[in-house]
Amino acid sequence: MKIDRRCFLSLVIGGAVGTTLTPVPWKLTDDIAIWTQNWPWTPEPEEGPSVYKKSVCTLCNGGCGINVRTVRGKAKKIEGQADYPVNRGSLCPMGISATQDLYGPARIKSPMKRAGKRGEGKWEKISWEEAISTVSKKLAELRSREKPHTVACISESDRGTVAYLIDRFLKAYGSPNFIRTPSFQDSQELALYLTQGQQGTIGYDLENSDYILSFGCALLDGRGNAGRMFSAYAGFDKKVKLVQIEPRLSDTASRANTWIPARCGTEGALALGLAHVIVREKLYNKDFVENFSFGFQDWTDEAGKLHKGFSSLVKEYPPEKVAEITGIAGSKIESLARGFAGARRPVAVSGGFGQGSLDETLAINALNALVGNINRPGGIAAVSEPDYLSWSEMKIDKTASNGRKKPRADEAGSSRFPNTGHLLYRLPEVINSSSGDSPIQALLVAGGDPLYTMPDSDAARKAFDKIGFIASFSTYMDETARHADILLPNHQFLERYEDVPTPAGVPKRIIGLTRPVVRQQYDTLHIGDAFIRIAHNLGGFIENALPWKNYEEFLKKTLSNQWKTLEKQGYWVDPEFVIPSWDEAFHTPSGKYEFYPTERNNPSGKDADALPGFKTSGIPGDPEQMPLILIPYESIRIAGGAVGNPPFMTKTVDANVIKDEDVFVELNPKTAKEYGFSEGDTAILKTPAGRAKVRVHLFEGIMPGLAALPEGLGRKAFSDYIAGKGVNINSLLPEVAERGSGLNRCRATRASLTRA
Amino acid sequence: MSTQSDNQTVSSVKRSSGWVIFVFFLIGLIASLISGWIAFPKLLYSTRQQPIDFSHKVHMGVVSNGCQSCHYFRDDGSFAGTPTNAECESCHMYPMTSDPDENKLVEEYISENKEVPWLSYAEQPPCVFFSHAAHVKGSDMECATCHGDIGHSDSLREYQENRLTGYSRDIWGYNMLRMGEAKHGQRHKMNDCAACHLEETGSKGDCFQCHK
Amino acid sequence: MTKQEQHTRTKRYGMVIDLDRCTGCGACMVACYAENNVPFKKNESDKMLSLNWIRVFKVDNGKPFPDTEICYIPKPCMQCDGRHMEGHSPCVSVCPAVATDYDYPTGIVSQIYTRCFGCRYCMAACPYHARKFNWWDPSWPAEMEKYLNPDVSVRMRGVVEKCSFCYHRYQKARDKAYLEGRDEIYEHEYQPACVEACPTGAMTFGDLLNPEHEVYKLSRSKKAFRLLEKLHTNPKVYYLSSKSWVRRKADNYLEGQSPGQQNNARKTETASH
Repeated sequence: MKIDRRCFLSLVIGGAVGTTLTPVPWKLTDDIAIWTQNWPWTPEPEEGPSVYKKSVCTLCNGGCGINVRTVRGKAKKIEGQADYPVNRGSLCPMGISATQDLYGPARIKSPMKRAGKRGEGKWEKISWEEAISTVSKKLAELRSREKPHTVACISESDRGTVAYLIDRFLKAYGSPNFIRTPSFQDSQELALYLTQGQQGTIGYDLENSDYILSFGCALLDGRGNAGRMFSAYAGFDKKVKLVQIEPRLSDTASRANTWIPARCGTEGALALGLAHVIVREKLYNKDFVENFSFGFQDWTDEAGKLHKGFSSLVKEYPPEKVAEITGIAGSKIESLARGFAGARRPVAVSGGFGQGSLDETLAINALNALVGNINRPGGIAAVSEPDYLSWSEMKIDKTASNGRKKPRADEAGSSRFPNTGHLLYRLPEVINSSSGDSPIQALLVAGGDPLYTMPDSDAARKAFDKIGFIASFSTYMDETARHADILLPNHQFLERYEDVPTPAGVPKRIIGLTRPVVRQQYDTLHIGDAFIRIAHNLGGFIENALPWKNYEEFLKKTLSNQWKTLEKQGYWVDPEFVIPSWDEAFHTPSGKYEFYPTERNNPSGKDADALPGFKTSGIPGDPEQMPLILIPYESIRIAGGAVGNPPFMTKTVDANVIKDEDVFVELNPKTAKEYGFSEGDTAILKTPAGRAKVRVHLFEGIMPGLAALPEGLGRKAFSDYIAGKGVNINSLLPEVAERGSGLNRCRATRASLTRA
Repeated sequence: MSTQSDNQTVSSVKRSSGWVIFVFFLIGLIASLISGWIAFPKLLYSTRQQPIDFSHKVHMGVVSNGCQSCHYFRDDGSFAGTPTNAECESCHMYPMTSDPDENKLVEEYISENKEVPWLSYAEQPPCVFFSHAAHVKGSDMECATCHGDIGHSDSLREYQENRLTGYSRDIWGYNMLRMGEAKHGQRHKMNDCAACHLEETGSKGDCFQCHK
Repeated sequence: MTKQEQHTRTKRYGMVIDLDRCTGCGACMVACYAENNVPFKKNESDKMLSLNWIRVFKVDNGKPFPDTEICYIPKPCMQCDGRHMEGHSPCVSVCPAVATDYDYPTGIVSQIYTRCFGCRYCMAACPYHARKFNWWDPSWPAEMEKYLNPDVSVRMRGVVEKCSFCYHRYQKARDKAYLEGRDEIYEHEYQPACVEACPTGAMTFGDLLNPEHEVYKLSRSKKAFRLLEKLHTNPKVYYLSSKSWVRRKADNYLEGQSPGQQNNARKTETASH
C-alpha cells in the first residue's frame, strides 16, 4: 500500500463532502452572522416592572412636582406630576435630565478633606465621623474664643425645614449670619414689605390673568419657576395678552403678543411713564386708590411737612420724556398704558435685569396697585410661609446671645440697609476691606455655588481666600466645593427627604414633599443630619436646640399634621389660606397700600428718594471707553444657577451659542458692522470687572449697541461636560449696590469688543 | 500516445490503488461526519446546570392558576417572566420541606436577599421585543406551544450556551440541522416566529413588531 | 390577509406641532434622549455628528431689529408615507439591508440596528436629516448606565438611528390592551416621550385617520403644513403656524412660489386616497 498525495487529497475531499453533510458550515455561518451583531460592551439595561414614584424637584427654587419611573431600584425617567398644583405636569429640560445628575460624574461620593492647596482639586477621603468632628471642632474653637458671630452659612433658601434647622442651629450657636443667595425674590419681598407691610413673597396669579406685562422677566426662559410658567402659558387662550419688555428678542419676547424693546435698565422709567398715562387719563381703580392706598396724593406728615405723592411723581414722567429714556415711542407708551389699564385682570411682573432694584420693583408694583389687582384673581397677592415650622423657643447661652447681637457680616439689617434681609454680594467687599482678621472665620456653604454665581468673581475669590475655614455641603463638585477645605456631600434630591414650601411667585400656600425615589448611591449624608450631628457634637444648649435623632424624625414630627397627605399625594395645599380683602390686607403704618413707602430706608429724607423714581439706568463703566452694553441672557437650555448643565442640556444648545469651548456673544448686525465683526469672528470682550475671549454671532433680534452672553457657562468645576465651556458672565459683571437697599441693582455693564 | 501510456504505466506503478484512495475518502468522510455531528455540538455549546433544581410538576400541583401563578402579567400588560425572590418568598420565606434545593433557595438566596441567577432557556437578545400578552392573551396560545411541556417536568434540564453567540441552545433548537419536529417546542429563531406568523396571520409581520 | 385588508385596519400615527405654542425650551429633545438611550459626548457642538432623534431648529424672519421674529421648529423623523401612501419613503426605498422598513399597521418607519450595516444610503436619501450615524461606540460615564431605558435597545458604533415615534410605547400600550381584552388602544395610551414632555402642550399625537383623535382635526386645519411638501414625501408630522414667513421657510420656497400653490397640490394628493 502506498500513501501518496492523492490519498491525502482524497482524505480532504472525503472530509469536505462529509462536512457539508454535517451542521458545521450551516450552523457556523449563522452563528458568525449573529456574533458580528453582538456588541458585548454596549450596555444591556435590566428589564423589570416600572414603578412610578412622586417627588418634588429641588434643582432650582421652582419646586415642580415630578413623577419618576424606576425599574428595579434605578431611576429611569423623570416626568412632570400631572396634578401637582405648581407645574401641573409641565417640567423644564433640567428637571427631566436630573437622572444624569444623580448618576453623573459631578457627584461627590464621600466626605473628603483638602489634601493640596485650596482649589487645587486634591482630596483625601475621610469618614463621616471625621468630617463631622472637624467641623464641630472648628466651630467649638471659635465659640471658645467668643467669636460665634464670625461663622456664616450660605443657603439657597430660607424656607422649609432644612433652612429652619440651619437657622435654629446658628441661633443656638450664636451667629447672626444666615445668608440666602440673591435672587429676584429679594427686591420683591422688600417691595411687598414696604407697600403692604407683609413678610412673604409676591404671588402672581398668571394663570388667571388676561394681560401680563412683564418687565424683562424671563418667564419662558427659565426665570423663577419654569415648569409653572410653561403650564400657565399652555393654558393661555387667545384672549390673554403677554407683553414683554426687554431689549433682546428672548424666547419669552418671541412668544409674546407684543415685544417692547426698551433700553436696558430703563424698565422703571417705562413703568412710571405708563403710570403717568394711567393717572392722567384717570384709568386707575378709583375705589382702591382712594380708599385703600396711601401716598397717591400729596400728603402732610404729623410734623406738618408736606410730602409729594405718587401722582405728583409720575407727572415728571410724561410719555415724551419716557420715550427719550427708553427709546419707546410716546404713542406706544400711551397705547400700552391704555391696554394694561383696560384689561379685566392685568398684572405687571417685575424681575428683569438681574435681581431688580427696589426702585424698579416699587414702580412696577405701583402699576398693579393703580389697576387695583392686588389680592384679586389674575393679580398679585402676598404669600406668607405656612406656619408648620413652630418648634418651641429654645434656650441659648450667653456666648450665643452675645454673638447674635453682633451685626451681620453682610450688612443686611444694618443702619445702611435696615430693611434688607440678605446681602451676600456685600460680603466680598466687607471681607476685602477689613483690616486684620476676616470678619468671617468659618463659612458653611449649605446651598448655592457662590463662587460661581457672585458678580465680580475675582473679588469674591479673594474674599473667600481670606476665610480660614470653608465647609461645603454640596452634592456636586461645584466651584465653591472645589475651593472648600472640607466636603460633607448632601444626598442628591432623588435620594432624600425634604419639604418644599410654596415656590416664590405662586399665589397659594402649599407644601411639596421631596422623597427618596432611589436608594442612596454613595457615602453621602442628608444635610439636615449633618447639622444635627454637628449640634450633638457641640453639646449643651446647641444640642438641646436640635434634639432630634435625625432629620427624617424632625421632618415627620414637624409635618405630623400633613404627613399622611404628603405621603399619599406628594403635596399638601393649605385649606386655610385665603387671600384677604383690601380692608384686611395691609399692615403698613397707614394700614393701606403705600404708594409712598414710609418705612423705606431714606437717608436723604427727600421725597424723591422715598418714591420709586427713575434716576439712571445704573450701568457701570465709562461709555467713552466701553461703548457697548453687555447683558446676560437666560436660556432655558443652560442652567445658570448653582447646578450646572447635565450633558443632555448642553447637547441641546445650538452651535451658534457654544462651539467647541467658545461662547458666542450676540451682536446686532449693525453693531457688528460698525466694529468690523462678522459671524464667527473671535474677539476680546472687556468690562470694568474683567475680560474674556468670545466669538461673535449676529442676531437681528438684539438691540444695536448691546452685546449679550448666556448665563450658566464658564464653569470651572462640575463635570467635564460643562466645565471649561464659554465664559462666566458673572465674572464680567461688576457689583452695583443700590443705595438704601444694598441690592444688586443692575446686571448689565459697559463693555468693549476688540479683535483678538 | 506512447508517452502518455508510458506515463500511465509509470504512474500506475507508483500510485496507490483505487480502493486505498476510497478508504482515505471514507476516513475523511466518516471523521468529518463524526466531528461534525458529535464533536462539533459538544464543542460549540457549553453546558451549565441551573443554580437550584426546580420541579415545575410539584408547583403545578399546588398553585391555582397554572403557569400564570408565578409567570404572571403585570397590570401594565408586561410579562414578569422568571419569578424573583419577591414571588418565591410568599411561600418559601422558611423551608417547607427538607428538600436540599429548597433549603438552598431559602438559605443562600432569600435570607441573603440575593436573586437566584436562573438561566433562561428562551432568553432573546436585547434587540428583540416579544409580547407575551399578544400571544397568550391576544391569541389564546398555550405556553407549551413555544416552551414545550416544561410545566410537567420534575427537574430542570441543563442549560446549553452557544460559545460563539452567547445564546441559549433553545433559540436554534436541539436538532442541529433544524429538521423535523422541535423537541419540547424549543426553537426560537426569527425564522421560527416568521413561519408561524405566516401560517397564522398570512404575513411574516413587520420588523418593528418584534425588534426594538 | 392581503395588503388591502391590512390597509383598512391600518393606523397612520402622526404628530401635529403648534409652532405658535413652541417656546423652544428643548424639553422634547431631553425627554427623547432619556427615553431612547441617545448617547452624548463632551463636545456636542458639531451638529452634523450630534445624535438627535428630535432637534429644535431656531429660524428667524430675517427682518432687522425691532421687526425681527423667531420661531422654533422641532423636527423628529417625518415618518414619510411616500407619494401614494404606500410606504415608499425615501429611506426605506434605498436601504439595501431591509434594516429600515415601513410598518404598515402604524405607518411608522422602523429602524433595526442589528440589521443595519452602516452604509448610510438612507441618510443621503432623507431630505429632513432625520437620520444619524453612530460614529463612536456610546459611553455613559460614572454610573449613568443605570438610567438607561430597558424598553429601547442601546445602539452600537457603525449603525444609523432615528426617531421611532417611541414605538416601544405603542407596544406597551398594545400589551395593556391585550391584557384587558381590548382590540384597540386609547389615544392617551400611546404618546411619544417628546409629546408627553412638551411643557406648553404644543405637540399632539395620534392616529391621523381616526376622526376621534385630536391630530385628525388639527392636521386638517388651515394653519397646517408640512416640511418640504413639494418633495411629495408625504410626512406624518404636521406643523401649525399663523405666520406666513414660517410656512414659506418650511418648504424652502423659491421666488415666485407660494405656500398656496403647494397646499392645493397636497389637497389633491390626499383626496386621491
